Amino acid sequence: MSLPAATTPPSTADVALLAFANAAEWAARDLFAVAAALPAFSSEEQAVLVGFHDHHRAAAQALGGLIGADAPNVREDAVYNAFRSRLSGSDKGAILDALRELENTLVATHTSLVGTLDGTAGSSLVASIITIQARHAASLALLAGRSLDDALVNEAIALTPGATS
Amino acid sequence: MNRYSRRQVLRFGGVGFAGVVLAACGKQANVPESENVVSVGDTPSKVTLPNVEVDDIVLLRTAASLEYNAIDTYDAAIGLGVFNGAFMPAGEIAKRLRDDHKGHADAINGLITKLGGEPFTCGNPRINEVYISPALALITDEANENPPLDVVVLAHALENLAAQTYQGVVTMLSDKSLRQAAITIGQDEARHAAVLAQALNPGLGGILPSVNPDTGKANVAAVPGAFGPLTPINVTLGAPAADGARASLNLETPSLNSLIYAGVSCS
Repeated sequence: MSLPAATTPPSTADVALLAFANAAEWAARDLFAVAAALPAFSSEEQAVLVGFHDHHRAAAQALGGLIGADAPNVREDAVYNAFRSRLSGSDKGAILDALRELENTLVATHTSLVGTLDGTAGSSLVASIITIQARHAASLALLAGRSLDDALVNEAIALTPGATS
Repeated sequence: MNRYSRRQVLRFGGVGFAGVVLAACGKQANVPESENVVSVGDTPSKVTLPNVEVDDIVLLRTAASLEYNAIDTYDAAIGLGVFNGAFMPAGEIAKRLRDDHKGHADAINGLITKLGGEPFTCGNPRINEVYISPALALITDEANENPPLDVVVLAHALENLAAQTYQGVVTMLSDKSLRQAAITIGQDEARHAAVLAQALNPGLGGILPSVNPDTGKANVAAVPGAFGPLTPINVTLGAPAADGARASLNLETPSLNSLIYAGVSCS
């Protein structure tokens, strides 16, 4: 019996891609921090947003851990600025929609990375982040009272590393 | 005066005895050699299993088989006619998710065909045997008081199983584009699981992990943690036994004994 090869470490090209993912996750962490502090949300809603914030922080830390000193460990400002202006006011539905779009964008971006990364250590970690952020997106759609399609379909476009900064 | 001590005599004696025993176990003249352990009567000849390879086609065929497991289970659930009253919305969700699985199966089989493999268009027999059939038997047992709820519990477990399978094969697939295709479907399955988790434990309290204070057990959560787990999925189904306990099944992603190898067919 022959089995697939064991896990392989990130290549040099992978490091730049994983660094971008690391910075995008820090941006998401900061965006959820902004949303969770909005008075529009109840304490129960804030607890969920803080939970998602923590997940993005864990993802950023794990990606940083994989590439060590090459990790920027700071947020990608282009991602942060693209969503920050939509996280204000009292329209909870609109804020949750913005956060869902953020999650869907990250899912699309990470999915694109999985198709590019050489090492399976990186693609395996990113895959484990994707399945959680897809759940974030679905949950945010349901919380906002949107349709089943909104929970299940991701039409977001992947970010391109380098093109956003 | 003795030239050998008592200890030396015993040591030499032991070596000599061991030599006699080994000689007795060795080849003997005019005795035919057998590949079997010496026994009385006829022994079957050795059967050598074919050498199998766990390649991209095998992994994709296994993924396709899980899609058919899901399609068959949703069809069976819809056929039970249990999605009435309060569970009617769950029935609509079940139809939608089943149709998604049909699309996934077609997509995966399309990739298999491109790679030169044989598409797989039925459920994984091992998964059927050890998980789905026992689960459906528990659900349809006459003593079960809430079959619709158990159907949703089983569907939720199968969606988690599918999401875990796609997440897990990312590490095993050799082709990067196939890894991307796999996780594209895997994130769909994760969304399915989140929606069904909300059907089972609705509202804000059902999104993040929590514990039932009465039972001390984990509640169903739409988002079970910061990273997609690859751990066994526990489901409790059916009517309580005499001691009040309900049957539990631990679902695990396909392994070497449940992969759909090249020689496995639906017929």
